[in-house]
Amino acid sequence: MGWESWVITTFSRTLAYGTPLLLATMGEIYAERSGVLNLGVEGMMILGAYSAFSVAYTTGNAWLGILVAAGVGGAFSMIHAFASITLRANQVVSGLALTMLGLGLAGVLGRGWEGYPLMRPLSKVTVPVLERIPIIGPIFFRGQNLLVYVAIGLSVLLWFVLFRTQIGVRIRAVGEDPATADSLGVSVARVRYACVFVGGVLAGVAGGYLSVAYRPAWTEGMTAGMGWIVIALTIFAFWNPLLGMLGAYFFAALYHLSFRLQTWVAPELLKAMPYALAILVLVVVSRGTLQKRMGAPAALTLPYTRGEE
Amino acid sequence: MKTRNILLVGLCLLLVGAAATAKEYVPGTPMKVGFIYVGPIGDLGWTFAHDEARLIAEAEFPWLETVYVESVPEGQAGPTIDQLIQELGCDVVITTSFGFMEGTHDAALRYPDKIFAHASGFKRAPNMMTYMADFYQVYYLNGLVAGALTETNKVGYIGAFPIPEVKRHIGAYALGVQAVNPDATVHVRWIYEWFNPSGAKEATEALIADGCDVFAFTEDSPTVVQVAAEHGMVSFAHYGSQMYRFAPDYVVSGQAVRWEAIYLDFLEKVYAGEYTAHNLQNVDYWWLLSQGGVAAEAQPGVPINPMYADALKAKTVQDPVFGEISVYDLFFVRLQQFGEPGVTYDPFEGPIYDRKGILRVPEGMWMSVDSLITMEWAAGNVVGPWPGEPE
Repeated sequence: MGWESWVITTFSRTLAYGTPLLLATMGEIYAERSGVLNLGVEGMMILGAYSAFSVAYTTGNAWLGILVAAGVGGAFSMIHAFASITLRANQVVSGLALTMLGLGLAGVLGRGWEGYPLMRPLSKVTVPVLERIPIIGPIFFRGQNLLVYVAIGLSVLLWFVLFRTQIGVRIRAVGEDPATADSLGVSVARVRYACVFVGGVLAGVAGGYLSVAYRPAWTEGMTAGMGWIVIALTIFAFWNPLLGMLGAYFFAALYHLSFRLQTWVAPELLKAMPYALAILVLVVVSRGTLQKRMGAPAALTLPYTRGEE
Repeated sequence: MKTRNILLVGLCLLLVGAAATAKEYVPGTPMKVGFIYVGPIGDLGWTFAHDEARLIAEAEFPWLETVYVESVPEGQAGPTIDQLIQELGCDVVITTSFGFMEGTHDAALRYPDKIFAHASGFKRAPNMMTYMADFYQVYYLNGLVAGALTETNKVGYIGAFPIPEVKRHIGAYALGVQAVNPDATVHVRWIYEWFNPSGAKEATEALIADGCDVFAFTEDSPTVVQVAAEHGMVSFAHYGSQMYRFAPDYVVSGQAVRWEAIYLDFLEKVYAGEYTAHNLQNVDYWWLLSQGGVAAEAQPGVPINPMYADALKAKTVQDPVFGEISVYDLFFVRLQQFGEPGVTYDPFEGPIYDRKGILRVPEGMWMSVDSLITMEWAAGNVVGPWPGEPE
């Protein structure tokens, strides 16, 4: 077993495990860029996972499940949007409530769905010619899920929108200085609602990926804390979709390797490694001049009311 | 005025409650039993098995009424027991996780007239018994099958926590593998969680990347079974029927628990007045195959998936007692030996050396229950990390 096999399995697993992290992180980046911290990712993800599974199981169509998960995630995020944008409630409290509500609701609804294998999960794709490229082929083009590519494409697209388009300027303006954005005719509430919705949709899809592609099965609490890793990855990525992609895959690679390397390194240490390294990178990168340029959106967690500053 | 009335009513209720609490269970009368679960019933694993047993007991005994609380954090045993006894009037409280031990023991002292049963622990009281249905013999049987079916001579095991219970199971599994295939090794990965599907998935993928092709595990979801099947590899169901469904073509055998055997026996004896709140100090159910506490099966009534019968019949080994015997027959011979009232075989029969070469079980000896439940050493053919390995 040479180094090629190590590289191939590690990167191939990285793509498979990193995809839900990537999707949900993209969503959270958008929400936070507009100034809304949403700690409800775990709740939105688990509801997405449940709804995708139940729909895919009953209809036999996994893509329909993903679609419904997107809708459910988006709709569910509106609770947080309403509480934190319209009612100006504390975003931390409202987000935590969303997570608890989501976990509880999915647990209750999911009764009786456990223990059933999904006969037709999201199909895996193998690209005929490209799969024969050495190393790259087996990693990217053999047996990966279509959503893996969707997530990568989406990340680039979302980066482009955020940093290269008028829409992106508005989103960032609302997150940095809502009063100025408002004075320039940007509807702060509308932009924030839209961004939180995008966050909900992507978290829902991420959850759906877990239950109809990655596992595929439904079990209560199956997100097992992934939503919290997403919150950390958003900060890790300095609210930039491309860095988010790097962060999600970096974490996924470490997560897989934490099992692979157990023969040589103490498993307790490996278990902490992804988290410890994430903190380390954060500390190193956020030092000095970078801090100002790449800090959190200035208006993050601050409700906006016209005329009050 | 109003406040005082409420206070008075409250006081009365409290007194009534206290009176009800102090009442000891009278044999032959309707009994109310409260169960405390550590996980959700839907885990399809540990808690699910306990709840299935609760339902069987309730259906079996017309005098039995049960209530349960699920997903109770391990530190919350005390308050939950208070609630079951004071508010719901339970005569017997059954707590089903090792971490509930202290809370249950404290409660047993607090309610000396109530009866307590605690799974997998070692602290007892005059009104608190302990019970456990252990898998080690079953894992040995699974190990025989794994050793015969592996083509790469690498057998995988995904463990939850490196604690004696799991180490004992891996030990028995590894000895089973060794008995039929001395060249094979057992590769272990730990996920440090009882329930974590993603961790189980990546750990299985890691073992597959390292060349393993047969899998057993301790994790409360069917993930390992699913991942193995996806790669066309066989595995052993953990907690029986529910997991078999996920890969009927790839689950060869497995470990199933029959908590109901213990619950039926114990509750019937309480009902008959044989067990009371005063004579449980030395009552410890350690139920294995012979008592029907556990079973080796791919799904109920199917010890070995028929799809693999031929492969197992084709593989033969030399046994000092039975001569040349197929693994298939050896499986059933051992199953019978484990199942007989006077058990005539044990996986941990000496001489056994651990992987560091230290003699752990002397020639001709079996391990005692005490040494089994504190076992930390790794069998000779185990490869991989073994936190807490004795020097």
